[in-house]
Amino acid sequence: MTSKTVKCPKCKNETTITGKPGEKTQIICPKCNSKGVFTFPIENTESKTTTDSFTIEVNNLTKKYNNFKAVDNVSFNVKSGEIFGFLGPNGAGKTTAIKAILGLIQTDTGQIKINGIDIKEDEKQAKKHVGYLPEKVAFYNNLTALQNMHFYAEMKNVPKTECKPLIIEMGLEDAVNKKVGKFSKGMQQRLGMAQALLGNPPILILDEPSGGLDPRGVALIRDKIREMKNKGSSVFVSSHILAEVQAVCDSVGIINKGVLVAEDTLENLRDRLNLKPKLVMELEKVSDEIINSVKKLEGVEKVDVLGVMLHVICNPRAKSKIILAAEKAGGNILNIQTMEPSLEEVFMKFTEG
Amino acid sequence: MDLNSIYFIAKKEMMDNVRNLWIIVITIIFAILTIAMSALGSIFSDEWQGLGMTVALMMSIVQLLVPIIALMLGYAAIVKEIENGSMNTLISLPVKRMEIILGKFLGLGGVLSFTILVGFGLAGIVIGIMVPDVNYVEYLVFIGATILMGIVYLTVALFFSTLFKKRSAALGGAIFLWFFFNMILPVILLGIAFAGASITDIMSGNAPEWYYAVQLVNPMTVYSTLVTLSFGSMPTAMATPQLQYPEFYTSGLMVLILFIWIIGFLSLSYWRFYKRDI
Repeated sequence: MTSKTVKCPKCKNETTITGKPGEKTQIICPKCNSKGVFTFPIENTESKTTTDSFTIEVNNLTKKYNNFKAVDNVSFNVKSGEIFGFLGPNGAGKTTAIKAILGLIQTDTGQIKINGIDIKEDEKQAKKHVGYLPEKVAFYNNLTALQNMHFYAEMKNVPKTECKPLIIEMGLEDAVNKKVGKFSKGMQQRLGMAQALLGNPPILILDEPSGGLDPRGVALIRDKIREMKNKGSSVFVSSHILAEVQAVCDSVGIINKGVLVAEDTLENLRDRLNLKPKLVMELEKVSDEIINSVKKLEGVEKVDVLGVMLHVICNPRAKSKIILAAEKAGGNILNIQTMEPSLEEVFMKFTEG
Repeated sequence: MDLNSIYFIAKKEMMDNVRNLWIIVITIIFAILTIAMSALGSIFSDEWQGLGMTVALMMSIVQLLVPIIALMLGYAAIVKEIENGSMNTLISLPVKRMEIILGKFLGLGGVLSFTILVGFGLAGIVIGIMVPDVNYVEYLVFIGATILMGIVYLTVALFFSTLFKKRSAALGGAIFLWFFFNMILPVILLGIAFAGASITDIMSGNAPEWYYAVQLVNPMTVYSTLVTLSFGSMPTAMATPQLQYPEFYTSGLMVLILFIWIIGFLSLSYWRFYKRDI
């Protein structure tokens, strides 16, 4: 039940009425006795809860380049305070969707809201909440790292004193006063992250953040993502590498050929897919005895034999038992390898339906 | 619209360009050429040429050089940032595309104005020391008109940089434009004029008004008319006879036409940029 104060159009007398959303009530003004009908609004109560808990809302987004649908009727929501992984192979439409969120491209259909603000209605206000690391990071080459950061700080209305510490935090202390034109790809990526973090934005959008980075740089970005989450920010990360997303994300959206094929928490997704790592053993010689003793074990789902290679799909905990069993059955193991389920397998599963 | 955003972009644009050495080189070339023109005049007479004479000699060089500088400054303004990727970050900031265009325009316009002002200003001071009786007001009008003409070319170049997908295409467009305004358009307009009136009629100002009106399609003609009008009876050492202008050729009209060019192409640039996918 909601209550609403209504004003009589005739005598301006105010009365409070109660009813259910969508309900029509007849009102008789207690003062001048004029009659009226009032319908309780439906959307009001509902939309309030959605805008509170979602920071990025994408509804029915479609973007065509000539006749090619780069993004096809995609909808997803990023919850407040979560790390959302946006997965897909190269060319799946990840960058296109991100560009649409930030108003970099004109969309054919769809509505996008950032913190409840429609990007088409008030782009300036909407973009105030966002820090963005583009896939293709680039700066003004004639200016130094600090001068570039000062420009972004000015544009974001953030104190310039934030710039230098951020550059140093991203591991560029030796390059603060170097011209960006002389930066390597990895250094530009780090500066790009520093730029995105300016002003502690409540929403962080990172497009392939580990592109061009060495392992240390990747770890640094990962730490920053977790740090921003702890500060209460929502983080939207796109990637074509499942392991990278797995390490940090709360929930994921998977896009393939412009279509969103899944959107769920990582746990649910793993359960739904029933993805298991694969143990690959290279043996000197394969015998039925070895295969049977492995098949019998608990946690083993499938055993494939390819020449002298044994591919075992299993529960991760069964690995050591498998190795022991194979050796016990007379197998001489030359090499052992574990293969994590690849993103391709995920897509296969989803696209196959 | 937020004036702060426009100012920050303009400032960044100036810093980014001033750090490019070539703009400083161009400024020095301007100054040296102007001084040389005046000094060379001493070959014809006993002393250095005054500012008025120097301007008359300079006009043809200015008409070639200033458009080149303006086109070089402007042709890449937008397309360069789109091509290398910095436009992604720029648009993701809390800024409107209108503010980006205006900021770029003001920043680059500032660099251009500064180059012309300092280049010719320095030369003016040197000539002023060497030559007695200098009319600085007219010389300032010449500088102002040159800046205005340069900005016309700058906005046209800015439009080209919003039009093309590749920087190289925008450069090609800018070079074509320079040829068009300096070589092709004058021939076409002269052809139109001479088709219906005799040379003596045109030179003496007796041709129908529309012949003169058509000439104003070329911003370069508008510019040279503006300079000539302000210097009045310009001393002509050259063999070309003085052109008589019809009465409606006023300084105010010339300035107005140049402003229409600027506002027109600035609007076109915004319209193209607004619709463009980055």
